[in-house]
Amino acid sequence: MRTSAGGVAVAVVALFLGVLAVAQFRSQDVYSRSLQLETPSSLTTLIASLSDRNNSLRDEIFDLRLRVESAQDSVANGRGSLAESERQIAQLKVFAAQSAVRGPGISVRIDGQFDERAMSDLVNELRNAGAEAIAANDQRIGPRSWFGPGPAGTITVDGAAVRGPWTLKAIGATDVMYVAVTRTGGIVGQFELIYPKTRFSVTKEPTLDLAAPAAAR
Amino acid sequence: MTATVATGPGPAQRDRLKHAVALILPATLFGFLVAAQWQGQQERSTLAVRYNAPLTDAAFALQNEQNSLKAQLQDLRKRLDAIQANAATQSGASSELEGRILDLKVKAGLTALVGDGVAIQLDDARGIAAGAKDLDKSICHSTDLTDIINTAWRGGASAVAVNDQRIVSSTSVYCVGSTIMVNGTLMSPPFNIQALGIQSQLLGAFDDPAQLRDIKLRRDVQGLGFRVTRASAIHIPAYDGALTVRNAIPR
Repeated sequence: MRTSAGGVAVAVVALFLGVLAVAQFRSQDVYSRSLQLETPSSLTTLIASLSDRNNSLRDEIFDLRLRVESAQDSVANGRGSLAESERQIAQLKVFAAQSAVRGPGISVRIDGQFDERAMSDLVNELRNAGAEAIAANDQRIGPRSWFGPGPAGTITVDGAAVRGPWTLKAIGATDVMYVAVTRTGGIVGQFELIYPKTRFSVTKEPTLDLAAPAAAR
Repeated sequence: MTATVATGPGPAQRDRLKHAVALILPATLFGFLVAAQWQGQQERSTLAVRYNAPLTDAAFALQNEQNSLKAQLQDLRKRLDAIQANAATQSGASSELEGRILDLKVKAGLTALVGDGVAIQLDDARGIAAGAKDLDKSICHSTDLTDIINTAWRGGASAVAVNDQRIVSSTSVYCVGSTIMVNGTLMSPPFNIQALGIQSQLLGAFDDPAQLRDIKLRRDVQGLGFRVTRASAIHIPAYDGALTVRNAIPR
């Protein structure tokens, strides 16, 4: 009887050791990044993002082919390429944030505690949603804009203190940007958890006017 | 007088020991198999083997397609540039516009640049266990990249690239699962960030203890890879993506 009880105890302990050994071995697996290890949900999101990018590239290729043909014809007929040059300048002025711009978009008002890293994340999110031009209050955000801490109630943008409440205005595809920032689990939802006393309101705007950056005025 | 002689276990004790030893090996093996089988089942369901292979193939195919589309776009941009350069030689007005276009292209990040600056490398900590408690602090995140880019601009950089993707006004650094995308291009660590500018100012910004506190702390505690060095003759490529301007109209 004693033999049987002892044997069972040993078997239980040994079983437990076996489980522990596997758990320990598994915890020593080295972390690695690989597309193959992503969840189907993440892969689907990645594919949607890549598809969107590729569609934008295809649209631009189509547009550029027409422009090349038009410019070739124009030069061949002695009319020069002034029209194409002016079109290109208009596009580059927007892309390089070198002029005042107008267009539809969204505005995100932030009233309460906020910081420069969150502001940078919001700008990044708006760009990811296709924002073509962005301003924080009246301060235009350019390709080389940076954010830093400022005196109480302010965030430094390109060296200038921008006082809260802050309104980020973004020109672009209104519905796409609106959904991107307000979706469940999106950036505004995350901010509401991190800054519970701060009020965030996102509105669609038929027309936004953004000033040119100070350096380009 | 009684003498006691030390002897080994009696026959009964020896039998019990034999039984116990005989049980240890199969019980341990059984425990090992049960745990391995249980965890294996969990992984298989999580990885959803059925869907991952075709989805991964689709993602790689789209990335390859993107590279090809970008090459076509660059070719068309060069053709348009050549037509305009040719027209500029024939007319003063065209020549002036050509100068403005070039200036705007430089500001927009559409021209490659070479110069001195700093090179920053960001990488996951080496040999981190998949189930480590501080795994999150040991690996690179998209916000680490945006913080580094922000510091580079703050230090006066004139151009920045991440793994050869030029940072421009439309650039977003996007994270899905553990995969990071910059300008819509799939990337994984190590991240090589190059910033063109005055080296002393750039190094001053990166060395400032108030900057990148979180990254520096994780480097010191969790072994996150983060290194900033002077670099000469850095080549920063031109932005090769789409210039999507559909809604904003210059005033």
